[in-house]
Amino acid sequence: MRALSIAATGMAAQQLNVEVISNNIANMNTVGFKRQRAEFQDLLYENVERMGAQSSEAGTVVPTGVQIGAGVKAGSVYRITTQGSLTQTGNRYDLAIDGRGYFQVLLPDGSTAFSRAGNFAVNDQGILVTDDGYIVQPQITIPADAKDVVISKTGQVQVLSGTEATPQIVGQLELATFMNEAGLQAIGDNLYLESGASGSAVTGSPGEVGFGQLVQGYTEASNVDAVSEITNLIVAQRAYEMNSKVITTADQMLSVSAQVKS
Amino acid sequence: MENAGYIALSRQMTLRRELDIAANNLANVDTAGFKVEKLLIATENGTRARNLGIDGPGRFVLDTGLGRDFGQGAMRQTGNTFDFAVEGQGFFAVGGPEGERYTRDGRFSPDSSGRLVTHDGLPVLGEGGSEIILDMTKGPPSVSADGIISQGTERVGRLQAVRFEAMSVLSKDGDGYYRNTSNETPSPDTEARIRQGMVEGSNVQPIVQITNLIEISRAYERMAKLIDSSNDLNRRTVERLGRVS
Repeated sequence: MRALSIAATGMAAQQLNVEVISNNIANMNTVGFKRQRAEFQDLLYENVERMGAQSSEAGTVVPTGVQIGAGVKAGSVYRITTQGSLTQTGNRYDLAIDGRGYFQVLLPDGSTAFSRAGNFAVNDQGILVTDDGYIVQPQITIPADAKDVVISKTGQVQVLSGTEATPQIVGQLELATFMNEAGLQAIGDNLYLESGASGSAVTGSPGEVGFGQLVQGYTEASNVDAVSEITNLIVAQRAYEMNSKVITTADQMLSVSAQVKS
Repeated sequence: MENAGYIALSRQMTLRRELDIAANNLANVDTAGFKVEKLLIATENGTRARNLGIDGPGRFVLDTGLGRDFGQGAMRQTGNTFDFAVEGQGFFAVGGPEGERYTRDGRFSPDSSGRLVTHDGLPVLGEGGSEIILDMTKGPPSVSADGIISQGTERVGRLQAVRFEAMSVLSKDGDGYYRNTSNETPSPDTEARIRQGMVEGSNVQPIVQITNLIEISRAYERMAKLIDSSNDLNRRTVERLGRVS
């Protein structure tokens, strides 16, 4: 009986759906997190009676045929890269991107990762780093005697140090954008890697055409909407139940057939 | 010979197939753009047994085809720039490796070169069958209800829905795609509205499918009873006639 395996694909798909939703809810308060969505597609169809086949010698044609689907599969888990809301923190090294773009982060292995999480800090040498200690590219060094740090919307880092009256420019932050942001490969720790699907990174200063602006003293909250996640969870749970109902029905029918007296 | 058992069996065969279809409907209750299906059944006259003095032939049950309800699925707002839904009868055309395919699932995204593609990477075909190329540096595209895609103030292409005179020429290919099995070329659907930031859900109504499940399982039980009693009748006939009085 196909129905058993068809319902099993339905249950597996809903299980994946619940896993994706639970990951979204778990990361509701993760800075710069982008919610994901499991997308389903119907599986291949078996042509029991092919449409367009001739049904008689007179040339009449089967109009609809009989096609029986094999269930559902997860097509992809798509990342929705809409803007998260900005949360004020007052921390001078907290940066939020308002618009498109990713911060570039140098990984310990020398490769570049990309991130929306701008909750930065300075390390013991005064270098601007992520909360894992990875250096933000291009490298910005804040002098030890800095009294105040101002990061402009366009990414210019100015420092007022010592007894000077005018702020000094110590660096310029850059952002990277991609053709297809959803194609970036997530590696955890709020970091993404470039992939064949995303296209190569295009760098530029914040505020340029096609790039977002920086906002100092704010972080970007996740774009998870609790209400819609909970609603999706309910839908997933009910769909799971309905598929299990199919299995029960198929099982009952099989047992009825088995009990026919010979 | 006795036909009753075979007639009941023919119904059980179609019921099993109906269950497979209901199972597929329920498995796809959350698949965007999925269209619900139902098995069409008809009576098939069997040849009358010559040695029986009864009127009329045995009537078997046979599945003749599949009915697809192409009605609108519920629209769900996602706010995602690259989600599109068709309101109306049209389909999005995509360029597959084996020719054009049609879909109601408008969850597209740009690929690494800016081409608008489906999640399998097949290019979406716009007006005149041309691919849609976006330049992401010009900002997010905005799509009007008649399919005009603009980035900023510049028009970069047009998303188009196409329609068929008879929907029954469409055969499901899986992955949400339909294939055209006739020579008919689809025409642009001028009445269709394209909604950006929306996804068309599956038009499966769970309650109807669950009711189907119950009906299928009860009908199957009834047929099993029929087979039982028909067998019983045969057995008793043999027993009684075989007894020497």
